[in-house]
Amino acid sequence: MGLFILRRFGVMILTALCLTFVVFFLTNLYPNLEKLAKTQGNARMTDAEVASWLDRNGYGGPLIVRYGEWLGVVPGWTREGADGEVTGRCIDAATPAEEAPTFCGLLQGDLGYSTVSDDEVSNIIGGRLALTGVLMFWAFAVMVPAALIIGVLAGMKEGSRLDRSLSTVSIASTATPEYVSGVIFIVLLASSTAGISPWLSEMGWIEGRTLFLGSARSAMDDVTFWNFTLPVMTIALYGMGYIARMTRASMAEVMTAQYIRTARLKGVSFRNIVLKHALRNALIAPFTVIMLQFPWLLTGVVIVETLFNYNGFGWTLVQAASNNDIELLLACSIVAVFVVLVTQLISDIGYVFLNPRIRIS
Amino acid sequence: MDLLTWTGALGPILNPLMLAAVAVFLLGLIGNFVLTLAGQQAGEVQINADHTLTINRTPVDYALMAMKYAVLLFLACCLAYIIGGLVQSDPMDQGILGAMGRRFLPVWIALIVLFALSITFKRKLGLYGKLFDSLIGMIGFGLVMFWMFTAIFAGTIITFGPIDVISQMRNEVPGTPLPNPDDGAYLYYLLGGDNLGRDVFSRMVMGAREVLKIAPAATLFAFMVGITLGLPAGYFGGKLDTVLTFIANLVLAFPVILLFYLLVTPEIVDAGIPTYMAAVLFLFPIIFFVVLFNSRYHTQPTKRLAYIAISLVIGFWLYSGLAFNADPLGLISMPGNILIVFVSVVFVNSPTVFRIVRGIVLDIKTRDYVAAGQTRGEGPWYIMLWEILPNARGPLIVDFCLRIGYTTILLGTLGFFGLGVSPESPDWGSTINEGRRLLTIYPHPALPPALALMSLVLGLNLLADGLREESLKD
Amino acid sequence: MTDTQHRGLTTHPVAEMYAQEYKDGKLSRREFLVRSTALGVSAAAAYSLIGATPVAAEAHRATPPMGGTLRIQMEVRALKDPRTYDWSQMANVSRGILEYLIEYNADGSFNGVLLDSWEANEDATQYTLRLREGVKWNNGDDFTAEDVAANFIGWCDSTVEGNSMAARMGGLVDPDTGVAREGAIEVVDPLTVRITYPAPDITLVPGIADYPSAVQHRDLIGTNPLDHGVGTGAYRITDYEVGVQARLEKNPDHEYWGNTYLDEVIFIDLGQDPAAWFAGAEADEFDMTYETVGEFIDLFSAIGWTQSEVTTAATVVIRPNQNSEPYDNQMVRKAIQMAVDPQVCLDLGINGQGTLGEHHHVCPIHPEYAELPPLTVDPDAAYAMLQESGHADHVFEIVSIDDDYRRNTTDAVAAQLRDAGFNVERTVIPGSTFWNDWTTYPFSSTNWNHRELGVIIYNLAYRSGVAWNEFGYANPEFDALLDQANGILDAEARSEVMAQLESILQEDAVTLQPYWRSLFRHHKPEVINADMHPKFEINIHYLGIEA
Repeated sequence: MGLFILRRFGVMILTALCLTFVVFFLTNLYPNLEKLAKTQGNARMTDAEVASWLDRNGYGGPLIVRYGEWLGVVPGWTREGADGEVTGRCIDAATPAEEAPTFCGLLQGDLGYSTVSDDEVSNIIGGRLALTGVLMFWAFAVMVPAALIIGVLAGMKEGSRLDRSLSTVSIASTATPEYVSGVIFIVLLASSTAGISPWLSEMGWIEGRTLFLGSARSAMDDVTFWNFTLPVMTIALYGMGYIARMTRASMAEVMTAQYIRTARLKGVSFRNIVLKHALRNALIAPFTVIMLQFPWLLTGVVIVETLFNYNGFGWTLVQAASNNDIELLLACSIVAVFVVLVTQLISDIGYVFLNPRIRIS
Repeated sequence: MDLLTWTGALGPILNPLMLAAVAVFLLGLIGNFVLTLAGQQAGEVQINADHTLTINRTPVDYALMAMKYAVLLFLACCLAYIIGGLVQSDPMDQGILGAMGRRFLPVWIALIVLFALSITFKRKLGLYGKLFDSLIGMIGFGLVMFWMFTAIFAGTIITFGPIDVISQMRNEVPGTPLPNPDDGAYLYYLLGGDNLGRDVFSRMVMGAREVLKIAPAATLFAFMVGITLGLPAGYFGGKLDTVLTFIANLVLAFPVILLFYLLVTPEIVDAGIPTYMAAVLFLFPIIFFVVLFNSRYHTQPTKRLAYIAISLVIGFWLYSGLAFNADPLGLISMPGNILIVFVSVVFVNSPTVFRIVRGIVLDIKTRDYVAAGQTRGEGPWYIMLWEILPNARGPLIVDFCLRIGYTTILLGTLGFFGLGVSPESPDWGSTINEGRRLLTIYPHPALPPALALMSLVLGLNLLADGLREESLKD
Repeated sequence: MTDTQHRGLTTHPVAEMYAQEYKDGKLSRREFLVRSTALGVSAAAAYSLIGATPVAAEAHRATPPMGGTLRIQMEVRALKDPRTYDWSQMANVSRGILEYLIEYNADGSFNGVLLDSWEANEDATQYTLRLREGVKWNNGDDFTAEDVAANFIGWCDSTVEGNSMAARMGGLVDPDTGVAREGAIEVVDPLTVRITYPAPDITLVPGIADYPSAVQHRDLIGTNPLDHGVGTGAYRITDYEVGVQARLEKNPDHEYWGNTYLDEVIFIDLGQDPAAWFAGAEADEFDMTYETVGEFIDLFSAIGWTQSEVTTAATVVIRPNQNSEPYDNQMVRKAIQMAVDPQVCLDLGINGQGTLGEHHHVCPIHPEYAELPPLTVDPDAAYAMLQESGHADHVFEIVSIDDDYRRNTTDAVAAQLRDAGFNVERTVIPGSTFWNDWTTYPFSSTNWNHRELGVIIYNLAYRSGVAWNEFGYANPEFDALLDQANGILDAEARSEVMAQLESILQEDAVTLQPYWRSLFRHHKPEVINADMHPKFEINIHYLGIEA
């Protein structure tokens, strides 16, 4: 078991290295650097000025060396200006040249500097991740129980009318991406001119202008039912159908197993069969699916955070990517890749632990 | 001229019926729920001694029956509107629903012909024919074919050009008549105007063409890549498998949205990355066909040469046009921004296909007929392509349908973020994104493309579900 | 607010001449105010010259109650050296700490902030600036003439990348060295600075009232105010997160020279999508918008917010760049101009909320505006002309930024060109990347903010070789006439030269400039002094909120 985890861990590190290198490569393509120079310096720089700006700010060296600097395995660049002032990767206002460390990269815990926000990446990303964490937590808290209930109910009696209608519901939910459901939710529930809000307001049943809030910005300070329901529902709806279908398939398979048939023949009530015998085994497969949902939800998070103006991780990713904020984007991809790989690892290990039929010697 | 009503002349008769159907359905639903909670169960069939069947109808059964008939009544009313649209000539009588139904006439005819032929000959049509045994599958197939035919006949369905602007019509509600129509022009904006005064209905219809031009083709390419790499990885195993699986997992570990943001930008197009990626990815279909024919006909040199020559010529002709925009005949080309969208979608989808194919091959290669082929001395590629692949078609076809739906959603996501698509393109993702801006005041420009996208993906998923069910019955 | 009342000159010979012109009906009240206050005549005195009741901006301003928190929806961009500011939003935040010498009011007049008064000599070559007494920096230093001189030297330094003040300083910059001309800036006494131009120049006052001219401490020229926080303003920045929000609070350690009301101001960034702003307003996330656009103007009013409108010379140009094929051909440009009806652009682009332009970028509200014969719109003739030019097969790619009115206007142009028979393609570029190449796109649209004088726009954008000349326009005849216009203090005479300049631009078909925008802002009824400003300025010192 230890060796298995160790090997998985090695593959994970290798994957992370490859992926960050790809991100690094793509963000450091010359047209992107040129764009960066022009946004940071001056929109009207000539090609020669761009080249000198890039050189001055440490973007001049070979790609692989700069990747090494970012990782923290190659000494950070330093450069002495014409006026004798030393600038460098590890040097900033707080740490003058004499005190600056030689290495300052990922391994030293330095995520670099966000050019657009004009701040350390580590200062930015922490708070944003926490915000997204809250969103993810509530999305899972809604999505997983709902999906499991639908899946188990549908899989209980395969082919029954209940199964047919619940399956159709879950298919419909997988066919409704976030940008469709979010749009429909806002029209129906969070618009002061359309949907049910004007009516409710006229009847005097709601205090504000709309039933739910179409913008989740206030949820950044204080999560309430009214400002968080729509974003959470939008994320949960799309993911729910998939988990429900997996649960249903797993449940249906378990229900045809020998031991269930035996229990039925012994006269155990249907309710007890489902609750005591089938449920636990039926939940093994959905567990892995749920873990693998994390990375899949990331797209949803990006869409929802953009749609509802919630300044979390997904929103940061969009900002970083559209402004070519290289180090912020790299930090975002590190986090994203980390989440993907860790959830894969957990799902693998969890599968092994939960499934009595697999034993690793 | 007056605003069109939604239901036209039939409205006063059919609207109350539809409302009643909805009410009955809801009552039935609530009744069913309450009764079930109260412990009532649906009646069971009893076999009597004289070999007749009796069903003890309980209140639950009546509730369910009411629901069933309500649904049927509702559908009948919808049908009546469409037929009403076809037989009445004045748009005022047709109503918006009827008028739209009339515009879709070629689609209805094509659908009826297709279904009539398919159901008549379903026993001779293999898996496709079996689809018509499953209601879910038929509904899904109907939805998909509806949009497919819409895309094909889009030119005759639309009432205005998708980028024609009539400035007085901006943000007008559905059914608004044109202020001073030209001779021969259609008189109404059936689904209203968007914020630039373009016809929402025509844009939605043309959007189907945009989406169905890319999604199935991109999925097909992804399958070619996935199959070409997945077959040897699963069959040979070893180092090849390890490397390919690692690469596939690498791509899969990339969050899709990050990849899109990195790849689908003007800077990346400038740097030529999409062309390199296309150069690699578009090579796989050619390899696939060459290997396919080579392994099949290696005992018949003339045939083999002919087939390989044909696939090479056609392949490289398409290849030069699509990947490098350098078609010697100048017939085929792909603009840079479409190419990058296409390539990215293929790139994202192929690792999953690879994993599926690899898994199936690992399973099938232990079968007897594979061993028999090996004993006969067949080459490995022959076994992979002509023994294993045909036997893996069931799950692959199912996944293909699902994946087109997923690709459609991905394309919409790209449009939603304004990545890669041209700004006036009527594709559904971009129109949803544009309509979203004024959503709270004018919901009508955003809802039709949103519902269209949803129904197409729903259709594909239902179709996949139906296919899966029927293929499992084998 | 008596202590901000600016005590300028009571009269000036040229101003008296203007007053006569006003009385003869040659000048509008607005033009008169702009011209005479630019000469140093106080707004109150200017009004009295024409026998009107003084209605200076301050008189309109209500006195709000003390205290309160105001939340303003506005983009929060990274701050930098104020000289290099390229967005008025940056200045709106830093205005809480860094104030200006002079400010421009919505009625077209100027009044002093850190200056007590200023005056020009008769031929507008020498300006004497008198500083307000008793102003202190929040680090305890006194505000003196040394500070002003240091700032002028900083503004004139055209060697600094992106210093847009250098262009506004005009003749003060020595073209050989790229820095301030020897002897141009003189400290007369601790409260007086004298500025001397080599040739007459009338753009000094508008120049130092513009948003990049924030006054920094003499030792801190060229630094980012966020890093040091030193300024004369009453506030301090406590929290600054780019793209999210900026928070300012009243600085308890600083004695401000004037009155100010709010305890706390929060700028909230809701991105560039007006729909998100409206959603934010419905969710009660802010009290006042930076700007309201398009359909949302009616919407904000519909939810009970107070609307504030100002007519401006802000506009959109949809221009070909003459450095690219086939736009170097005058016939192609003329064909484009003839095919486009400005009225349609106005209706589709900004919902008709503005007035028609004449493709020459001088607005009727500019003092030197000269009326030209109306232009004809004739799509058929336009296409004929295009065919004649031999570029009928060319595919015209029109670029625009991805936002509401600029995009809609550009779409409207594209649609009209298409109707006329042109082959047109549209490209939309997100706001984050659009500005990287905005001057070099072959055919694109750009929004231009309001400027006080027509010559300011021409100097900034149409003179050969200047940085913001996005038209690729180089016409020596135009440049020579413009030099001439720059030296004419008398508006009547200048408008004669202006008529020639305007018609050159029309004849050369340099750009499409279909309309002038009215600008709108909305705020909750309880917000005080939040009226829209033609240059989007928000001075948080004046704002207040009813409890």
